[in-house]
Amino acid sequence: MASSSLKKEEVYGLWGTFVELLKVSLRAITASKMRSFLTVLGIIIGVLAVVTVLSIIQGIFSSFFAEFETMGSDTMFIRPNYEMFKSHSEGIRRLKMTYEDALSVEQNVSDVKEVAPFLMSSDQISYRGKKDSTQIIGTTEKYLSINNLGLDNGRFLSPVDVLTRRKVCVIGRDIIDKLALPEQCLGEEIQIGRGTYIIIGIQEKRGGSFGQSQDDIIYIPLTAGIQQYGIAVSNQVFMVVKVKDVKKMDDSVDRISSQLRKQHGLKFGQEDDFKIFTMEQLRTMIKQFTSISTMVITAIVSITLIVGGIGIMNIMLVSVTERTREIGIRMAVGAKSKHILYQFLLESVTLSTLGGIIGVICGWGLSHLIVFILRKSVSETFPGAYIPFWIVLLSLAFAALTGAVFGVYPAYKASKLDPIEALRYE
Amino acid sequence: MADTLIEVNCITKDYEMGSAGVFKALKGISLKVEKGEFVAIMGASGSGKSTLLHILGCLDTPTSGSYHLEGVPVHTLSPDSLAEVRNSKIGFVFQSFYLLPRANALENVELPLIYAKIPPSVRKRRAMEAISFLGLQDHINHLPNQLSGGQRQQIAIARALVNNPSLIMADEPTGNLDSVTSQRIMELLKQLNDFGNTLILVTHEPDIAAYAKRLIKIKDGLIISDEIMKRG
Repeated sequence: MASSSLKKEEVYGLWGTFVELLKVSLRAITASKMRSFLTVLGIIIGVLAVVTVLSIIQGIFSSFFAEFETMGSDTMFIRPNYEMFKSHSEGIRRLKMTYEDALSVEQNVSDVKEVAPFLMSSDQISYRGKKDSTQIIGTTEKYLSINNLGLDNGRFLSPVDVLTRRKVCVIGRDIIDKLALPEQCLGEEIQIGRGTYIIIGIQEKRGGSFGQSQDDIIYIPLTAGIQQYGIAVSNQVFMVVKVKDVKKMDDSVDRISSQLRKQHGLKFGQEDDFKIFTMEQLRTMIKQFTSISTMVITAIVSITLIVGGIGIMNIMLVSVTERTREIGIRMAVGAKSKHILYQFLLESVTLSTLGGIIGVICGWGLSHLIVFILRKSVSETFPGAYIPFWIVLLSLAFAALTGAVFGVYPAYKASKLDPIEALRYE
Repeated sequence: MADTLIEVNCITKDYEMGSAGVFKALKGISLKVEKGEFVAIMGASGSGKSTLLHILGCLDTPTSGSYHLEGVPVHTLSPDSLAEVRNSKIGFVFQSFYLLPRANALENVELPLIYAKIPPSVRKRRAMEAISFLGLQDHINHLPNQLSGGQRQQIAIARALVNNPSLIMADEPTGNLDSVTSQRIMELLKQLNDFGNTLILVTHEPDIAAYAKRLIKIKDGLIISDEIMKRG
């Protein structure tokens, strides 16, 4: 009986002490709000920077690479060589890659197993008054197998659909929610931009890769897309090529390259106006991209840690001095040095974590603002910012860690005060 | 023997003064206090009375000599163990009250119970009891600066009482109060003694010391007189 009541007290001792200390910390922090705010400003700015940079990078990352993720190593991706021009938009204006180029590669290069040409656009969609927008892929029947996509229901685009420019579409899972489509939506007509399309298939749920949903998408026949979106889009046809023998990948790249040069009438010595990426190269790019962004982020986080941490340590030292009397009182009535240590440590951790939370919220806002401005000024299709949960957790963890590391010294100093001297302190 | 609360044997306290050598604040004090006593320690400033109070209150340890509190050799204890002793056995009443400025009256009284790991519900009830005993139940939500000096000292007394200490140490408890309030506080302390609490009072004012039953005078770190006083 005695031991059970003792146990209860001990449990209170751990959790209860924590709650008490947290209350004391929050009271101390809110007692001088402006000072607390200025103290954690370093952390706020640091976390804000990390979240903003990461979320924009993640947005670009997911929209750019998501499409290639499911492709095998026997595939390559070909796009116009935008790097020939100073700006991307100038490249789009002057470069040309068409459906005919794709057909010529498929027909004339014997190494090639199949080619899936595709164009990308984004457009308004609607169904019975419900409106939204999504990404549109105009492609052929080959796209399904090359990208290893699956269907839940119905069928994918057929050669006949492409040949006859039939207004049919295959939708991703998210579209059902976006347009509030009935579960049995095959055969329903939806509006995509100016055109009315019949749903013939539903893509199997792919989930998010790199965060962005791959189910927020509609596939239409390439020919219908060319007709609907005109020359600006139909001159920017990309292709995914699958070769027969993965071991002869380099040879295949050369042959496809010379076929495209011929098709584009390029003379000897002229630069390729297209660019071929094998899956290997793409994966290397992704790796490089990841490691560069990791380095940038690590640098930002380190600076945050140091700058924010110094700010916190500084003010915690001031706070310990100011509250010497309080420490003395607490010690006189029975606080052990560990109680004082935990109190000030928890205060600096709470302070920095609050800073982290503010930083995450501001970073979320800022990244969306930047994307909004970029969309207005640079390109309407600039990928949206995306903040994965791990970034939030990581930022908060780093903020808390900063508070802990830089709070140790002031807290230790407080805990080692002599009760009498602390009480006498004026 | 069982009723002995404090047994101090020849304690000294030296302070290193750097180049000025060593200052001997206490030069060998022996003292016994039984349970239920009300002792006043008097002396001029610099006599060593504060040092003695700090040692008796377990805020400090003697340089040499022994100090047993309820049989526990507290002169051998670590700082953390001394904190435990202060928490469970000693209640302090100070000249400047020493309340936490940002905590209200109730929270101030609860403070020792937090470090005693008393669950919140019990803590609150006991703090309320202590405050009610002093008649300040209408002021539990007030911050110290919203209370008068006398009320602040009463809250401090409630805090000293709340964990049922064996010993209450009062260090110039009326030093910051006017004479009417001083009288009220001293009556209160006397009442606590009448209820069986052991009190040690440090003061330099004879009329305050007169409330005690026993008077110890200190000069230059030594006891110069120790007498039982007749109650007038």
